Amino acid sequence: MAQDHHDDGPSDVALRVKALESLLVEKGLVDPAALDLIVDTYENRIGPRNGAKVVAKAWADPAYKARLLEDATAAIAELGFTGAQGENMVVLENTATVHNLVVCTLCSCYPWPTLGLPPTWYKSPPYRARAVRDPRGTLREFGVELPEGVEIRVWDSNAEIRYMVLPERPKGTEKLSEEALARLVTRDAMIGVGRASAP
Amino acid sequence: MAALDPKAMGKLIATGATTRVDAPATKPKFKIGDRVAARNLSPVTHTRLPRYVRGKRGRVERVHGVFALPDTHAIGAGRSPQWVYAVTFDAAELWGPQGRGAGRLTIDLWDDYLDPA
Repeated sequence: MAQDHHDDGPSDVALRVKALESLLVEKGLVDPAALDLIVDTYENRIGPRNGAKVVAKAWADPAYKARLLEDATAAIAELGFTGAQGENMVVLENTATVHNLVVCTLCSCYPWPTLGLPPTWYKSPPYRARAVRDPRGTLREFGVELPEGVEIRVWDSNAEIRYMVLPERPKGTEKLSEEALARLVTRDAMIGVGRASAP
Repeated sequence: MAALDPKAMGKLIATGATTRVDAPATKPKFKIGDRVAARNLSPVTHTRLPRYVRGKRGRVERVHGVFALPDTHAIGAGRSPQWVYAVTFDAAELWGPQGRGAGRLTIDLWDDYLDPA
């Protein structure tokens, strides 16, 4: 257990990152404030709550949903979510008969402005290998059991397009506000390894 | 060389840096519905053509636009802009009999990765 080794100090990776940062700063290549901005942005400001707002709006507003499926980059920008790793967005709609699942087999490509930085499992070789070869089994491990009749569509974001899933709207949510709907949208549902939560 | 400062970083975070080329000079080689085969290429340098689609046959599902070709761009050999398509493969084409019932897979491929099929 971790508490048995409290005198081990920082991990090798943490030390290597600190050494790299010191070198970059000492050589005048990076202003430490630029690094603070990156960390603050992706730890505190940009994350899957952005994507949840996009999904909730699409559920609540059919005209917005149509724009989102037609030109996702522009529709997402309407809500102010733009920038690095969201320059070329495509949104995929899950329905009663089609389930979309996103993976980046080559590395970790992920739509940062709407989902934030990818979770560790998304970057792991087992997910990247198995999501394409055995998507149904992979989904089962995430707790998603799809009926036989549902077609699985896997999207490998190997290139410049960043994909996000528009999950199915849960039943019994007709009277919920957009804010309440957004609370049902999980990160995993927007990757396609989960469903939106029940109200 | 100027240090990477918070202003430049803020701009990069907010607007990004796409390799998309607007107003392309060329026409797409393929259109939606065309049958294509991923070329069987094994470069020792960078590519975005994963081994699991090499030599496989699919169909063009979307035409995304023109983007720098990573194979040349990554090694400083120029942007070589070309069209990128979402190409869809049946799971059985990719994985054989074990792929049956596993649906379809779509991946984005550049002109240089594709032949007509």
